[in-house]
Amino acid sequence: MKVRDVQHAVLPRTTAEEGSRQNAVVSLRRLLNSKVRPRNVGIFESEAAPAFAERHGRQPQSHEEVREAFLMSPGYRMWSAANRSAQEMIWVSVGEPTYRDLERMEQATKELIEADDKLGSLSLDSSYDPSPEVADVDIHLQPGGYAMNRSDYDVVSGALYECGGNVFSFGQGIGRGDSKAGVIMRLLNEEFDGFKPAKMLDIGCSAGAASAAYPAEWPDVEIHAVDLGAGMLRYGHARAESLGVAVHFHQMDASDMRFEDESFDLVVSHNLMHEIGEEKRRAMIGESFRLARPGGIVIHQDVAIRNQPTLVHEIERDWDTHFNGEVHWNTYATANLQADMIAAGFPEDNVVEHDLSALHGMANNRWYAISGRKPI
Amino acid sequence: MTNQAQAIAALIESARGQRPQSLDNREAEETLNIALALLVELSVANDRIDRLERLVAEMRGEDVATLRDIRYEGEVAEQRQDATDALLMRALRVLIDPRAQANE
Ligand SMILES: C[S@@+](CC[C@H](N)C(=O)[O-])C[C@H]1O[C@@H](n2cnc3c(N)ncnc32)[C@H](O)[C@@H]1O
Repeated sequence: MKVRDVQHAVLPRTTAEEGSRQNAVVSLRRLLNSKVRPRNVGIFESEAAPAFAERHGRQPQSHEEVREAFLMSPGYRMWSAANRSAQEMIWVSVGEPTYRDLERMEQATKELIEADDKLGSLSLDSSYDPSPEVADVDIHLQPGGYAMNRSDYDVVSGALYECGGNVFSFGQGIGRGDSKAGVIMRLLNEEFDGFKPAKMLDIGCSAGAASAAYPAEWPDVEIHAVDLGAGMLRYGHARAESLGVAVHFHQMDASDMRFEDESFDLVVSHNLMHEIGEEKRRAMIGESFRLARPGGIVIHQDVAIRNQPTLVHEIERDWDTHFNGEVHWNTYATANLQADMIAAGFPEDNVVEHDLSALHGMANNRWYAISGRKPI
Repeated sequence: MTNQAQAIAALIESARGQRPQSLDNREAEETLNIALALLVELSVANDRIDRLERLVAEMRGEDVATLRDIRYEGEVAEQRQDATDALLMRALRVLIDPRAQANE
């Protein structure tokens, strides 16, 4: 199943003009990413380090000093201002059709949620207070954030996430045919003898794009998906029903999930680790171990920003922490995930880090994953 | 029903947190944002013009490239040049403004 650019009943219906605007933002971001941003590391040598040396009489050394030096360079500052502006315009370009079409989308959601012949399910927990480290922040500047929940049929956060995610990804050069779920299915084929789960869990599912892609490929799999945001889950549920795939959505915290021990053959998370702090991450990885059955597989996939060659590259990558509301970006980028997996209970010799190529898109688009298998 | 301006306002007003600045000067940063937004709108307008060109070409039974290659000389060319000069004059007005920078 395609994951990006899928048509379904709760997707905002964009006018041709709104489509043009989203395309223009894609083009702007593509240019910034492919032609302007790659100059930053060079600019560090030519502008930033000399400016720092002139002021302080020595070369920048620590994280803070490298960051300070970057901000002393006009070239870097101009890119940073433009990149922030482009990121904000992503949300304007998808927010206008979302709020304009919202009445229809909420009605479609209501009908899909209340239908008698549903394939999957939605369980929201009104007593749950979404983790403030995520709920209180507009991560990647998505207005209202992941946990926004405006009314009983609100789907704004899900619509913004899905549509904004597409504009973002295409602007990164990620192809329309790419799929993080597809990358994990390929990994299972290549490295785990074509392992196919009967029951699986997707943690931090957002609008459920990956969660719906698994049962589309494996019609017999029973899939459960967890997120903290009610608006996000409602949207994901209505989306999956509209696409005709069975997914069971649950509002829970990734660090404390209400499933029995050893419930799943496969536990995955996609792009979750970079959104959460250290403590949550360790608890989430611990939960993934607890919930996997003996012999089951756990794969946590995320963005390929780890293992930067130099401190200058690392600080350049860390822009998102300071300018894009990605408060845990660097925590994730520099974490010892292998140690977290081992602490969770995975035997040292079966924890593996993977550098994965995307299914489609520019050749330098890659994904990171770490996997472990629970001993029998 | 929500109109376009209301929809855009709803989105803008739902943003939380602070807005870190990259440039030394806040006015410059905000002006850059406006310029980039206009760049996006220019691209949107170009798409609209392109749609019309294609429709007109189709109605005339000719290739859109042929339609786009129509050039004018003489009086029409002069009118276009005047219009371009006027556009630039409006856009770059501040560069031509005779008043000197006030001290405060
Ligand atoms: C970047 S999104 C990943 C979305 C999706 N898996 C994908 O790949 O498209 C991260 C998601 O994790 C969710 N999340 C963050 N912290 C969480 C927590 N403590 N418990 C449950 N979900 C959480 C957020 O609400 C958000 O929807």
